[in-house]
Amino acid sequence: MAEIRLNNLTKRWGDFVGVDDQSLHIKDEEFLVLLGPSGCGKTTTMRMIAGLEDPTAGEIWIGDRMVNDDLPKDRDVAMVFQNYGLYPHMTIFDNIAYPLKVRGTPKADIEPRVKKAAEQVELTEFLHRKPKALSGGQRQRVALARAIVRTPKVFLMDEPLSNLDAKLRVTMRAELKHLSRELQITTVYVTHDQIEAMTLADRVAVMKNGVIQQLGTPDDIYNDPANMFVAGFIGSPAMNLINGSVQSGMFVTTGGTKLVGIGAPDRETAILGVRADDMSVHDAGQGDIDVSIYAFENTGESTLLTVQWGKQRVIARGDRHLRKEQGETVGIKLDPDHLYLFDPDSGDRIRLGGK
Amino acid sequence: MRDQTLKYLLVVPAVLVVFATAVWPLIESLRFSFYQGRTDRGDFPQNWLGFENYTWAFLYEPAFWNSVWVTGLYTVVTVTLTTLFALGLAMLLAPGGKLRSGVQTLLILPFAMSPALIGVSFRFMFNPEFGLFDAFFGVVFPPLADVSWLADPDLAFAVIVMADVWGWIPFLTLVLIGGLASVPQDTIEAAQVDGASGWRVFKDVTLPQLMPVLAVVIILKAIFSLKTFDQVFMLTNGGPGTATQTLSHYIYITSTRYGQVGYAASVAWLMVIPMMVLTYFYAKFVFKKD
Ligand SMILES: Nc1ncnc2c1ncn2[C@@H]1O[C@H](COP(=O)(O)OP(=O)(O)OP(=O)(O)O)[C@@H](O)[C@H]1O
Ligand SMILES: [Mg+2]
Repeated sequence: MAEIRLNNLTKRWGDFVGVDDQSLHIKDEEFLVLLGPSGCGKTTTMRMIAGLEDPTAGEIWIGDRMVNDDLPKDRDVAMVFQNYGLYPHMTIFDNIAYPLKVRGTPKADIEPRVKKAAEQVELTEFLHRKPKALSGGQRQRVALARAIVRTPKVFLMDEPLSNLDAKLRVTMRAELKHLSRELQITTVYVTHDQIEAMTLADRVAVMKNGVIQQLGTPDDIYNDPANMFVAGFIGSPAMNLINGSVQSGMFVTTGGTKLVGIGAPDRETAILGVRADDMSVHDAGQGDIDVSIYAFENTGESTLLTVQWGKQRVIARGDRHLRKEQGETVGIKLDPDHLYLFDPDSGDRIRLGGK
Repeated sequence: MRDQTLKYLLVVPAVLVVFATAVWPLIESLRFSFYQGRTDRGDFPQNWLGFENYTWAFLYEPAFWNSVWVTGLYTVVTVTLTTLFALGLAMLLAPGGKLRSGVQTLLILPFAMSPALIGVSFRFMFNPEFGLFDAFFGVVFPPLADVSWLADPDLAFAVIVMADVWGWIPFLTLVLIGGLASVPQDTIEAAQVDGASGWRVFKDVTLPQLMPVLAVVIILKAIFSLKTFDQVFMLTNGGPGTATQTLSHYIYITSTRYGQVGYAASVAWLMVIPMMVLTYFYAKFVFKKD
């Protein structure tokens, strides 16, 4: 049980900055998800916490101890590696048992604990095999089992479910959520999967180019993005970003269409952010704007309409029973309560009226 | 002419050369090993002896057994020492190791030296009057300064071992560096996070994965140690007495000095047995399909 503190943590390789002077306080028993595009420094941050990478500057605290100079083995963390890091010469059983063995767990305790961990990741039938004889998803579950077989101070999980099929991913996600609540172990979790991030996280840290853009609850990140990057990164499909200007309280698209009233002072350039879910599809003439359908997709749970909006394309979500043809004209209405305005140059959020 | 035919025709000269210089002498030596074949007689070879040369070596030649013992001991000692030193050096020099940089290039130097040169230079270094060791011990520990290293049976053996180990470490180190580089870094990191100390990471994760390469190194070095001739010839010529006489040297002496070519050939063919065993394992490790 321990909190993690990163104080002004920096990692540089030559001129390249992997993690740029970041401070982060992960509370005891918290489940923190690191989210960000490929190469933004998620793995690097994890590796520094684990002690596999020396920070160029800054401090790492686990509990009430500064661990910068501690070896990985002394930090009492368990890690699921992005590329598994299984021991190819050991059986699955020995792979999972290894952290217990090296830490001197009594022999009698090892077997039941390995069996339990294997059960949790649905791997019991493969215990006698070598990693080579497993599929990618099965190997990933071995890596997961090796981490959860022990009760460490901190879990570090680098995309632990990325290679599982959709169904197993849902099961494992629930398993992890259950486990983290039950064991109450501070967890840092990297994922690209929005749903994983939203469902598992107590808080989410969105990173870009080695800088944390926003730290907040999944709700905050989704509904109150700090800047255009976070807004565009979170959500599937991504938030629509529409170029235009604000003229006498109205957002006007670059094409000159007066779109919606917006509680912001006039400005030459602005970007309007609106999520697909916050637009409703109506018959032509019934919405804020008439647009023609560029592509119509049916995902099963809902429908996605890509519409031509002047020079831009925008995605709106429709009812799952909606059926439209490519080229048809529809009216789109924006939900005035869920609009976001951004400064196109800095990407900063321009707060509207009340919010 | 069809390409097929031409292809084979072009290889013929090379095959003939190999046959004349390697295969034919080999067959002839096998034939001689069943004859009385002395070079000091008019006709050659003389009487057919069957397996008598072979049994003679086993039954009546203490010098043969002496050289078997010397060779065996020499092989065990040099293989052990070379492998241990090479492994240690490789750990230091491998990517992520503690040393690195230009040292690797420097390392190959001793291997580039001809064995004869190594022999001569070691002989010179151990010269009791003006050798390097004489000078060194003269300053550091005078009682050891005037020891005539090569005149004492045990010391002479040690000096040959030293020269051999010194000459072989670089190559084996390079092979092991290659082997270590192919051990996935993430398995090592996983073990570190799992709680293993440096030694346990080495023992549980690095070494098992290095094993195939290490086995090849050990077998290869054993083959070369069994054949050792050059260091012995250059440094001690088998002496003092026969204290450092390896099998190769024994074969050389019996055939050249004593002119017993038939007998020497039979001993040479006896040496083939351990070689075959080692080569079998070598091939097994090198061409292992897994
Ligand atoms: N040893 C290294 N030397 C130089 N640059 C490195 C090194 N390791 C990582 N980087 C760089 O640091 C940046 C961050 O890498 P990191 O692995 O943390 O990304 P990530 O956020 O985990 O990405 P992904 O989602 O693709 O796993 C990348 O641009 C990467 O190229
Ligand atoms: Mg990564």
